[in-house]
Amino acid sequence: METVSEVRTKEVTPVAATGRTPSPSDLVWNFFISVKLAIFTLIILAIASIFGTIVEQNQPPEKYHQIYEDWAFALMNRINLFDMYHSWWFLALLVLFTMNLTCCTIDRFPKMLKVVRNPRTKLDGNLEKTLSLSDRWKKKGTLSDWAAKYSSALSATFAKPKVTEEGGEVHLYSETGVASQFGVYVTHLSIIVIFIGAILGNVLGFKGYVNIPEEEAVSQVPVRGGSRTQDLGFTVRCNAFSLETYPSGQPKAYKSDLSVIEGGREVLRKTIVVNDPLQYKGIWFYQSSYGQAGGTTALVSVRRTDGSPLGALSLAPNEPTPIDGYGTVRGVNYDQNFQGRGPALQVVVEKPGKPAENFWLPQQLPDQDRQRKDVLVFSFGGLDSKMFTGLQVAKDPGVNIVWLGCALMVIGISMAFFLAHQRVWVRLAQGQDGRVEVALAGSASRNRLAFEKKFEKIQTSVKAVGQ
Amino acid sequence: MSNVILFNLTTVLFGVASALYLAALYAKNGKIAVFGTWTCILAAVVSTAALGVRWYESYQMGIGRIPVTNLYESLVFFAWSVNLFYLIVEWKYANRAFGAFVMPIAFFTMLFAIKNDSSIQPLVPALQSYWLHAHVITCFVGYAGFAVSAGAALMYMLKSKQEAAKINEGIVGLLPPCKTLDDLIYRAIIWGFPFLTAGIITGAAWANYAWGTYWSWDPKETWSLIVWLVYAAFLHARVTRGWYGKRAAILSITGFAATVFCYLGVNLVLSGLHSYGG
Repeated sequence: METVSEVRTKEVTPVAATGRTPSPSDLVWNFFISVKLAIFTLIILAIASIFGTIVEQNQPPEKYHQIYEDWAFALMNRINLFDMYHSWWFLALLVLFTMNLTCCTIDRFPKMLKVVRNPRTKLDGNLEKTLSLSDRWKKKGTLSDWAAKYSSALSATFAKPKVTEEGGEVHLYSETGVASQFGVYVTHLSIIVIFIGAILGNVLGFKGYVNIPEEEAVSQVPVRGGSRTQDLGFTVRCNAFSLETYPSGQPKAYKSDLSVIEGGREVLRKTIVVNDPLQYKGIWFYQSSYGQAGGTTALVSVRRTDGSPLGALSLAPNEPTPIDGYGTVRGVNYDQNFQGRGPALQVVVEKPGKPAENFWLPQQLPDQDRQRKDVLVFSFGGLDSKMFTGLQVAKDPGVNIVWLGCALMVIGISMAFFLAHQRVWVRLAQGQDGRVEVALAGSASRNRLAFEKKFEKIQTSVKAVGQ
Repeated sequence: MSNVILFNLTTVLFGVASALYLAALYAKNGKIAVFGTWTCILAAVVSTAALGVRWYESYQMGIGRIPVTNLYESLVFFAWSVNLFYLIVEWKYANRAFGAFVMPIAFFTMLFAIKNDSSIQPLVPALQSYWLHAHVITCFVGYAGFAVSAGAALMYMLKSKQEAAKINEGIVGLLPPCKTLDDLIYRAIIWGFPFLTAGIITGAAWANYAWGTYWSWDPKETWSLIVWLVYAAFLHARVTRGWYGKRAAILSITGFAATVFCYLGVNLVLSGLHSYGG
């Protein structure tokens, strides 16, 4: 870095021009400002990136052992091929890429700016020779008269010209699309901005993943790829999770009803789905997965014979649940379609000193249990399984900088490719025969075919002046 | 499903157009190529209608969504983009010889598409987002640009041999001059590149909104970056080092091979987050 900043102030071209042997620092600088290096780095980055798509990344070692021989595993592990996008050598490539980008900008931007500020406003003979679009003609009259006429013609058909008078000649110079020259620098800057945003996000942010069972809450999140946990500074509670399906049975939506609790108070409540996260204090919660938390329970409601409710039971499989002054109830079996009458639960009721009773409770017949002529009537309300929601949790303070970089990139690329720097010169000189000799020439930085047509138009309208 | 019938008709039209353009080259008859153009225009109308009908039918099924969400739909959308992009190029360059090299790409894409499941399936939760539209459309305009560029590159490879030998005969003799082809290789890429860039960015924005990570080195993301890097290298080589002609043509074909792998290969060969086909 020392050498690079040292040579930054020097011009490279004079070194080459004087013909003296370039110093080591010049060599380093020349290395970093070369476009050859840029093309090389782009291609190497592309080729290197392929490896990480062939070798699945960040899998547990056992999985790699299954696929690769021991020696191959050892070698691949040695060169970080299992997490190659974060390996030292891939990062080194990115650093090289960034250095190249930065040095190219430092080297070329001031020169470009100089040219933009002081464009070549005079169409001398040398310049005229290099331009493929040019024309010459002669006019009777005075130089200043024609200069004024052509100047206004250029303003009308192309752009207002800059007028330079020198050595008895008048030069008109018009240009459009100057911004196109900045496009490449905006694009290069955008890549650096994106990298800055990415680094900020990595250093100051975190990414984690957490499962929250329904009706439970968390205030800490395990950080991905480490043993660390991150304090949220508030509590997130999952009130409920639900899964919606299309008639065909395919999943339609995963919904988590979440509450943010801070200082013992609910400050935010939102039902999130995939593609619609919750955000609080810069921390985002994304619906990511779901599953069953714990076992399934059977809901059984208990009434007295007069119909007044006594309560609701949630029976875990084969767990006797006591009812005061009565006995215990135990769910022992479940049938999705019991005797063709839909879902039903088989329960065993045990009262002290009496033989156990064993009977079925069909869900669709809540009064069937009255047949037993007991003091309590049971009815089955269906199965209930407690779910958990799986949330990605992320805090990324750099993400807006990344988006700024992305916006700059689209703007920069559009400027570079959709705008063209178009220039038109007119030179007027007093000829030997007393007539005014006129030369017209034009050039475009890109899309020359389109400019040819435009130039023809300019040519026609300029020549038509004063006819 | 009337949309599928319309897409099948589109396939036939693309086939007819390809045959007409090839026949025009073979018979050195410009009039045949004019029929090719009209077939392409008809195909554009029919395929646009097919996309519209499919979109409408998805609403009738109660799962209304843009028809670009599985392999079948993305393939027909790609063919649709290539056809449209081609028509613009034909009109801009006033040369019908390109058709023989670009329309077969659309035709074979459709042949491949109709071998896939063409039923309208509801959207999985991960795809239910407005980002879908911006992401898919920008990517496919980019892909179409690269396809046209690769077609021109292929023509260039054939033509340059003849021009070097200073002969001008046979089918190749009818191709546009190398200078025009070289220009088209470059210009199709400078249209494709900004769209691919926008496609990658909208994909990143979407990933960030759905998963909380804008870049996770998933194979699809990585391959889109590889494609981007190849074309970035092409543009640098071209603009600053004067890589014209054969070398530019080779880079364009390489870039398109990477594009095809990014688009299809990743889904068919590799596994990852982007497993919906497209």
